[in-house]
Amino acid sequence: MVRLALACLLLPGLHAASFAPVRAIFEKSCIHCHSGESPRGKLNLSSANGLRTEKILAMVTEGKMPLGGPPLKASEVDAIRAWIAGGSVWEGEALSPPKQQFWAFRSPVKVAPPAGDPHPIDAFLRQKLSAKGLDFSPRADQRTLIRRLSFDLTGLPPAPADYALTYEQASAKYLASPHFGERWGRHWLDVVRFGETDGGEHNYERPNAWPYRDYVIRSFNEDLSYRDFIREQIAGDLLAPGDPRRVAATGFLVAGPWDQVQAEINKDKAMAMTQRMDELDDMVTTTFHTFQAMTVNCARCHDHKFDPIPARDYYRLTAVFAGVGFGNRRVAEEASIAEYESRIKPLKDSLAAWKAKLGAIEDPKRVALLRERYQAYDRQHESEALRMPLNPIWNRNRFSEAAGERYRLVVTAHRGKRARIERLLLQPAGIELKAFTSARPASDAEPLIIDLAGSGKVRELTWATDWNTGSGDGTVSVYRLEAAGPDGNWHPVASSLDHARSVEISLPSVTPEEQTGLLDAEQLAQRESVRREIARVEAAIAAIPEPTKLYAAVPKASITPSFVLERGSVTQPREAVGAGAMTAVRQISLDVPVAANDRARRLALADWIASEKNPLTARVIVNRVWYLHFGNGLVNTPSDFGVNGDRPSHPELLDWLAVSFMENNWSLKWLHRTILSSRAYQQTSAQVPRAFAIDADNRLYWRMPLKRMDAETIRDSVLFHAGNLDLQSRGGPGFALQKKGDAGSYIYKALANDGPAVWKRAVYRFSVRGGERIMMDSFDCPDPAVATPQRSVSNTPVQALTLLNNDFILSQAGAVARRVEREAGSATAAQIGHLYQLLFGRLPSTKEQALGANFIKNSNLALYARALLNTNEFLYVP
Amino acid sequence: MSPKHQHKTYSRREALWQAGGGLAGLALTRMEARAARTRSPQPDFTPKAKNIIMVFLPGGFSAIDSFDYKPDLEKFHGRETKGANTITPFFGKRGTVMKSPWTFKPRGQSGKMISDLVPNLGALADDMTFLHSMVARSNAHGPALFQMSTGFIFQGFPSIGSWVSYGLGSENENLPSFVVLPDRRGLPPCGVSNWGNGFLPAAHQGVILGDERQPIADLTPPSSVAPRQQKATYDLLTELNEEHLRQNPGEDALVARIRSYELAARMQLSAPDVTDIRSESAATRAMYGLDHPVTRDFGYNCLMARRLVERGVRCVQLYNGGHFGEPRVNWDGHEDLRTNHGKNAAILDAPLAALIRDLKQRGLLADTLVVLTTEFGRLPISEGLGEGGRDHNPEGFTSVMVGPGLKGAYAHGATDELGYKAVENPVTIYDQHATILHLLGLDHQSLSWYHNGLARRLTDVHGHVIKPILA
Repeated sequence: MVRLALACLLLPGLHAASFAPVRAIFEKSCIHCHSGESPRGKLNLSSANGLRTEKILAMVTEGKMPLGGPPLKASEVDAIRAWIAGGSVWEGEALSPPKQQFWAFRSPVKVAPPAGDPHPIDAFLRQKLSAKGLDFSPRADQRTLIRRLSFDLTGLPPAPADYALTYEQASAKYLASPHFGERWGRHWLDVVRFGETDGGEHNYERPNAWPYRDYVIRSFNEDLSYRDFIREQIAGDLLAPGDPRRVAATGFLVAGPWDQVQAEINKDKAMAMTQRMDELDDMVTTTFHTFQAMTVNCARCHDHKFDPIPARDYYRLTAVFAGVGFGNRRVAEEASIAEYESRIKPLKDSLAAWKAKLGAIEDPKRVALLRERYQAYDRQHESEALRMPLNPIWNRNRFSEAAGERYRLVVTAHRGKRARIERLLLQPAGIELKAFTSARPASDAEPLIIDLAGSGKVRELTWATDWNTGSGDGTVSVYRLEAAGPDGNWHPVASSLDHARSVEISLPSVTPEEQTGLLDAEQLAQRESVRREIARVEAAIAAIPEPTKLYAAVPKASITPSFVLERGSVTQPREAVGAGAMTAVRQISLDVPVAANDRARRLALADWIASEKNPLTARVIVNRVWYLHFGNGLVNTPSDFGVNGDRPSHPELLDWLAVSFMENNWSLKWLHRTILSSRAYQQTSAQVPRAFAIDADNRLYWRMPLKRMDAETIRDSVLFHAGNLDLQSRGGPGFALQKKGDAGSYIYKALANDGPAVWKRAVYRFSVRGGERIMMDSFDCPDPAVATPQRSVSNTPVQALTLLNNDFILSQAGAVARRVEREAGSATAAQIGHLYQLLFGRLPSTKEQALGANFIKNSNLALYARALLNTNEFLYVP
Repeated sequence: MSPKHQHKTYSRREALWQAGGGLAGLALTRMEARAARTRSPQPDFTPKAKNIIMVFLPGGFSAIDSFDYKPDLEKFHGRETKGANTITPFFGKRGTVMKSPWTFKPRGQSGKMISDLVPNLGALADDMTFLHSMVARSNAHGPALFQMSTGFIFQGFPSIGSWVSYGLGSENENLPSFVVLPDRRGLPPCGVSNWGNGFLPAAHQGVILGDERQPIADLTPPSSVAPRQQKATYDLLTELNEEHLRQNPGEDALVARIRSYELAARMQLSAPDVTDIRSESAATRAMYGLDHPVTRDFGYNCLMARRLVERGVRCVQLYNGGHFGEPRVNWDGHEDLRTNHGKNAAILDAPLAALIRDLKQRGLLADTLVVLTTEFGRLPISEGLGEGGRDHNPEGFTSVMVGPGLKGAYAHGATDELGYKAVENPVTIYDQHATILHLLGLDHQSLSWYHNGLARRLTDVHGHVIKPILA
C-alpha cells in the first residue's frame, strides 16, 4: 500500500496508462501457470501481492519466459518494463486463472461433421483443405489400394488372388485375418517397450515373457474392447487371478528393462532404494505415455515444467505400483493352486520315500565304488584342480545336499608355507570356520584335517572374499569337504574339483550296467518293485496339470510406503502419499488411502484410465491408430499430449473419433473400418506440387504418404515371396536370432541360423535388449530398451549394403528364384513377369522386361530377384 | 533452436537429411530446405577439434593406481576406514586401506606423478589434461557404462558418438561417421547399446570396423557373387529406381535412397582401404606394437583409429577391455588388482601412447580430441581383509583428455587424501560430455532431439562446460 501510494505521488498520471497492456499480457501468456493454489515458481500473478518485478522483467527480457512458448514480443517486454518503472501499480480486479483448460484436459465434444461429404472423416478434413484452396487427391487404383490395405493391416504382401477382391472385401478379409493382430500387436509392443531380456549388464533372459506378446496379438484379433485391454494390462492379475491370459496382460507393467544386479546385490542402501524408484518410474512412465500421452515422469524431481503435473501427482502414481514386483508367477485361482499343492505334496513325499528306498538298495555298493574312483581321479587331477578364481558374487560352490553329524575339511595343497582361511561357511547348517592358519604345510601324504564344529544339512560352501583368486599366500587350492554319518565313516561331499572347468572334467561315474552287476538277485528283485512304484508315482505327478508359469507383475509381500521425494532423492522423503492420479484431470479424481492394498491401488488406476470421463484415453488411442495409418498423427506427438507436444491439426475430428470410438464399445476394429472407409485413406500417394507448396508436411491430408516398409515387414515379405514364411506358426516361445554368449558372457551374439526354425513372422522373435546387430537393426527396428511410439525412417548406405549383401537376403533371393522357376517355368520372360506379379502385383513394362532379360542373361535369376528386393518399388508402399 | 519447433517427424524430412552427410549432394528447393529439420549438421560455433577418439576402459580403471597419486595410501596401508569416512563397497567385503602395487614417478617436464602401470602414457603427461574429480551416478557397471556412453544410466539412449554424428555429420561420405573398434577379446559389457543410436536415426549408429576380411558387416557379398555381377546389380537398380522415380516425381525419399546406393558402392571401395595397412612402415607397426603378441590386437585398433580420423571419420570409439563372464576380460579388478590391471595395462599402454604420438607427429592432433575414460574408478580400500582387489568407486575417479583447445599438463579437480571422493571441483559425466561437445563446436544445450515428449539431450538437464581446462 505504501508503495502504491508512493508511486502515485512520484509519477502522477503514468500508472493509469501502463497496467492495461500488462494485464493483457499476463492473461494471455502467464496466468496459466502463475496462478491458483500452487503457482509455478511460487509466483502468483493474479494479484499485486508479493510480485518480484525485477525477476519478472529479467525472465521475459532473457526470453526464459513464457516457458516452452515463444518469447514475448519486444513491444510486450517494453510494456512490462514501463509498468515496473512506473512503480508496478496494480489496477482493477485480481486476475483469475484461465477458465479454459489446456485442450487435452477438456472433455472431447462430438460436433456434427460439416455438410457435404458423406463420411465424417472426409467432411472434417475437407473443411480445412478447402480453406487453403486444396482438395483430396484422386482415388488410388485397385492394385495400389489392395497393396496398401494388405501391408497396413497385416504387414504382409497381398496374396496374388487378393488383387481380384473389391476394396470392401479386402479390408474385411484383412481385418478378420489372424495376421492383423500380428501387425498391430507389433505396433503396440513398440509403444510399451516389450523386451524379453532384462537389459543392462547381466541382461538375463525372460523365457516366460512371451505370453504378454501373445496376449496383445490375440486381443487385437478378437477386438477386445480397448477398455478391457487397458484394465487387464494394469490389473489383469487382480481381475482374474486364475486366468493365465489376463495375468499375462500385466506383463505390460514389467516388460521394461530391469536391473536385477542393482535390485538384489547392491549393498549401498541409497543406490538400492534408487533402483526401486527407477522400477516404479518405468511403470509410471510407460503407463502414462501409453494410455494418457502424458510425460508425468518429468515431475520426478520437480513439478512438471510445462504441464500441470505437480511432483506430488507423480509420487501418488508411484504409490499405485508400489505393490508390484518383477518376476515369474504361477497362474491359477488361489483355491486351485492350493488344491494343486495339496494333491501334489503327498505324491512328492511318496516319491522321495521310494527314491530313498532305491538309494538304500543301490547306494552302499555304488558309493564304495565311486569313492575308489574319485580317489584315483583326485590323484590324477590334483595338479590341474587349482581352485578357480572366485569372485565376490560367485565365491560359492553348490553341491548335492548332504547330511552329516560331523564335517571336516581335508586340505592337501595350498599356496605358501601355511594354509590360511579367513572364513568358510557351510550352509544351510551354518557351520563356520574363522581365521584359520595351519601350523605346518599340507601335502598329499600329510593332509591337513580341519574339524568343523556343527552338524546338519549342507549344500553350499562359501569362501571369504579375500585371497579368493587363489593367488594370495596361504590360499587353499586342493581340498575335500567330508561328512560323517551315524556310522562314523567319512565321505566326500564337495571338493576343489567342483571348481574345475566343467568342459575339462568328466567325473568318474558308475554306469547302469555296472550298478546292476553290483547287486545280488534279491536286491535286483527289490529294486525292480521299487522302480515300478517310482514310475507309478511319477506318472501320477505328471497327470496333475501344473499351473502355468509366466513372467508378469508379481505382488510384493509387503508394500513400502510412498513419499514425495525432494528433488527425486530417496534420501529426502517428505509427505507420505497414497495412490492417486493426475489432478489436472478434473473430470475424475483418484484418492486411495495410504494404507490401501495393491488391489485397491491398481484397480483404482485401471478404472480411472478406462473411464469414459477421462478426456485423454480415447483421444490418445484413436490418434495412435490414425498416425499408423496416415504417417501423420492428428496430434503428431502420439505419446505427448502436453503443452510441449503438438496441437491437434483437426481437433473436432479427433474429438469426433474419440467420442464415437467410446460409443462403439471402444472397438478398435470399428475405428479401423471407419478410417479405411474414408476417401482420405483411399487417395493416391502422388506428389501434388501446388499442395506441397502450401502444406509440405501433409498435415491437411491432401494425399496418402509413400511409406517405407518397416524392418519386420521387409523380413516377413522377403520370406513370404521366397515361399518360406511359416504363417501357421503363431505364438509360444519366440525364435532366436541372437543368443546369449557361452562362458558366462552377457553378450547376445547374432546367430547364423537361417532355416525353418526362424522362418516365422518377425513379431515372434525372441526380443533381446542390446544384442549384437541383426539385419533388421539397419532398418530402424528399435531396441526395446526404450518405448518407441514413432519409429525413425532412415536412409543409410549401411542399409543399402545390408539389403544387398546380407546372407539372409541372398539366400532368400535364391529361394525366390527357385519358387519362380517352379511356378513360371524356365522361360526368362515368364520368370520376369511372374516376379513382377509376386513382388509388385503388376506386369513389367517392355523396358523393364528388356532390362531384366539382359541382366539374367549375364548373371542369374537369383541375383535378379535380389536386385528387385532392393528396389524402391519393393520397399515403398504407396 | 527451440525444442518446441522440432517435434514434428515426417518420413519425408528424415529421409532427406538422414542420408547423413549425403545432404550436400541433394538438390534442395528452398521449400524443401525450410521443411527439413531445423538442425543441419554443422557446428554451433568455431570448433577446436573436428574429430574425436574415445578410448574406453570398461570394468572400472583405477585412478589411484595410475594418474591420481595418493601418498597417504602408503601411510595408512592396512588401516580401517571409520566413522564418517567409512567406505561402502558395491558388493564386496569392506577391507582396509590398500597402497598401490605400482610405484609413482614424476613424468614429463611437468613432473606429474604417474605410476609404472602406464609408463608410456605417463611419458605424454605434458600433453594431457587430467580430470581427477570425475563422479559417476551409479556404482554398478551397467548403469555407469550407460551413463558414460550415453549420458543416461538407462539403456536405450543415443551414444555420445551418435550425438556427435547427428550434430556434425560426416566429413567423408564414403565411410560411416561413427566407427567402433571393440576389443578383440569381446564386446564391452552391455554390448552394442554403448554405441547405439537410441532414438536418433539409424544413420548415426556406431558401425563396427572389423578386419581386412570384412571391414564392415555386409560390406561385400560372398565370393559367389562376382564383382561384375555386383556392378550389374547396382546399374540395374539405378535404372529401375530412376524409372520408378519418374513415375513418382518429387519424392525426396526416393531420391535419397537412390543416393544411398551410390554411397554404398563407394563405401565398398573405401572401407577396405582403411583396413589395408600394407602402406604402413615397419617403424609405425613396431610403434603400435603390432609385432608383439600382447599388444598386436589393440595396437591394430589404435592404428585403425588414426587411419579413420585421417580419412575424416568424425568419431571413433576404441575399447580396451570386454565383457564379464569367464574369462572376464576387462578392468574389474575385484580379486587381484595387480594381475588384472597389470595384464590389461600391458595391452593398453604402449599402443595408446603410440596413437597419441603418431597423431601428434602427423599434425592430426591439432584437429583430434582423444579422451581416455572408464565407467568409474576403484576404492582405496581392499576388497575384504588382506591384499587383493578393489571394489567400484563412482565417487571420484580420473579421466584424461588430450587434444586441441585444452591446457596440457593440467590437472583439474581433486579427490580426498585417499582418492575416495572428489572434493575439489567435482566433474560430472554431464560436465565432461558438455565439454567434449564444446570442443567440437557444439552447444550441449541446443543439441537435442524430440522424443516421447521431451527435447532429449546428451546432457539431460545438466552439464557445464569445464572452463578452467580450456586453453
